[in-house]
Amino acid sequence: MSPLVGPLGWGIFLGFFVIFVFLGFYGARWRRGDLNQLHEWALAGRRLGTFLVWFLVGADLYTAYTFIAVPSGVFASGALYFFAVPYVATTFAIASVTMPVLWRWSRLRNYVTAADFVQDRFNSKLLAGFIAATGIVAEFPYIALQIVGMQAVLTIMLLGIVKNIKLVSDLALTIAFIILAAFTYTSGLRGATLTAVFKDALVFLGVIAILAAAPFAISGAFSTAFKAATLAASTTKGLLASGVDFLKTPFAAAYTTLWVGSALALYLYPHAVNGALSAESDKKLALSTALLPIYGVALALLAMYGILVYGDAPAMKILSLFPPSARGSLVIPTLAVTTLPEWLAALALLGVFVGGLVPAAIMAMSQANLLVRNLVKPLYPGITPQGETRVAKWASVVFKFLALGFVFIVPPTYAIWLQLLGGIIITQTLPSVFLGLVTDRLDKYSLMVGWAVGLGLGVYLFVTPHIPAAFSPLYPIAGHLVYIAVIALAVNLLIVLVGTGIAMAIRGNSSRIRS
Amino acid sequence: MTTKTTEKVATWRKVVVGVLFAIPWIFYLLLPLYDTAQPELGGVPFFYWFQTLWLVVSSILFIIAVFILYPGRR
Repeated sequence: MSPLVGPLGWGIFLGFFVIFVFLGFYGARWRRGDLNQLHEWALAGRRLGTFLVWFLVGADLYTAYTFIAVPSGVFASGALYFFAVPYVATTFAIASVTMPVLWRWSRLRNYVTAADFVQDRFNSKLLAGFIAATGIVAEFPYIALQIVGMQAVLTIMLLGIVKNIKLVSDLALTIAFIILAAFTYTSGLRGATLTAVFKDALVFLGVIAILAAAPFAISGAFSTAFKAATLAASTTKGLLASGVDFLKTPFAAAYTTLWVGSALALYLYPHAVNGALSAESDKKLALSTALLPIYGVALALLAMYGILVYGDAPAMKILSLFPPSARGSLVIPTLAVTTLPEWLAALALLGVFVGGLVPAAIMAMSQANLLVRNLVKPLYPGITPQGETRVAKWASVVFKFLALGFVFIVPPTYAIWLQLLGGIIITQTLPSVFLGLVTDRLDKYSLMVGWAVGLGLGVYLFVTPHIPAAFSPLYPIAGHLVYIAVIALAVNLLIVLVGTGIAMAIRGNSSRIRS
Repeated sequence: MTTKTTEKVATWRKVVVGVLFAIPWIFYLLLPLYDTAQPELGGVPFFYWFQTLWLVVSSILFIIAVFILYPGRR
């Protein structure tokens, strides 16, 4: 078939990518600070105001999950995947309450990670180490998911141009990651902030352009699309199983637990905390967080584009060239090239591409902070601040390439699947971090046991019952009726509360005996 | 570890803020309220557009909450 993106599109894509790279390196000179200090490199000196935090955290949190996984889920399973909308509406209520408190502690005691706080709060380097390790592990599949999103863009751009798309796109991704690693090493979060503003502009441009172009490209736009999707659901077994126009009743529990669990988990992810701690003041952080559901309108539209594509005959024709399991990820890139003029499509595609790169940079950076602060430092207490930063910079490079290698080896379906597992395990750090912000009376051993049991139970439920179902269109719950993260968290919390009660009773008794 | 960082905020402010942050949670938990196709908006079923509209409502509620929680500070 003839290429979907011609020389003009490629020229614009590459030209604007050069601007992106320039911004990434220019970050090192912007609002100069001593980049040998960890808080200067990793938190941009804690000097970002309301709007920069909004752009940075927005770009950090609305990732390939938003552009690829959510539309892909709606496209394959239907209404169930719209759980992403209540998720992003409610998660920022939690963040507006918890993050300013963590910010105040961090400013006071020079914390860079949530595990730094846990270590002081519960006077336990071991507990902090567990929290840090959980964060590092949970972040890997999230980075991998970004790369899967970038692959989807390259697949559409290379279609009809080269024979071996996989080889060329792997090569292109490797080059993109070398550039990303280089500017993250030199500019830290400053580079990520400037590129984040660039990314957000492209993303909004792309989302609004598709919305505006849809009625022209597809006669009847959404009306046509929802009818076509209903028809497709009735003819293909298993397609859009959770409903098209609204959610079918058996999926109600899954829908609610998925958004509740995801909303609880988001600000436990290290990259979310990293973005929040870069704010200039607690009020500015709270205000920018309160404004973030607005960004979610773009997510809601992208989710609906998972249905819109059914009304777009040329797009459906392109998707039919791929195996059913690969089609979902290609929905947004395909819609961009079929509904938009070439130059605009190129910008939208670049938006999705850098939309994966920016969060990947921040995720690897936040993993590096956890490694150096909460795993390396407790073992080598003599490490200098400069040494700390040097280790973090190199670790962020290594983490990026580990994730890239991971994507090259395993199929993309696994990346999305493991990202879900990442969500289940990160949720188990909630008692130590969020409850720790409220009270210091929790017993550290109970927190450790709760964490361990939560992890074990979550992984057990995830792998045991229906592994084949995990790959069916209903994979988010892995064949269970409710989201596993929520079940595991409930058991975890129960252990923490009961254990703390017992610990208090024992300590209370022993102090009474002594007096 | 003492909590010197927690500032004195009037109780009524905390209560109002708590309610404002909780409203979107309560709305979205009431799934049967919005799990329907009609009325449509521009061909989009109610289930989709109404939840999207609530993103904007949530943001407005949160912003009001933040101004109540941090009075007179920059």
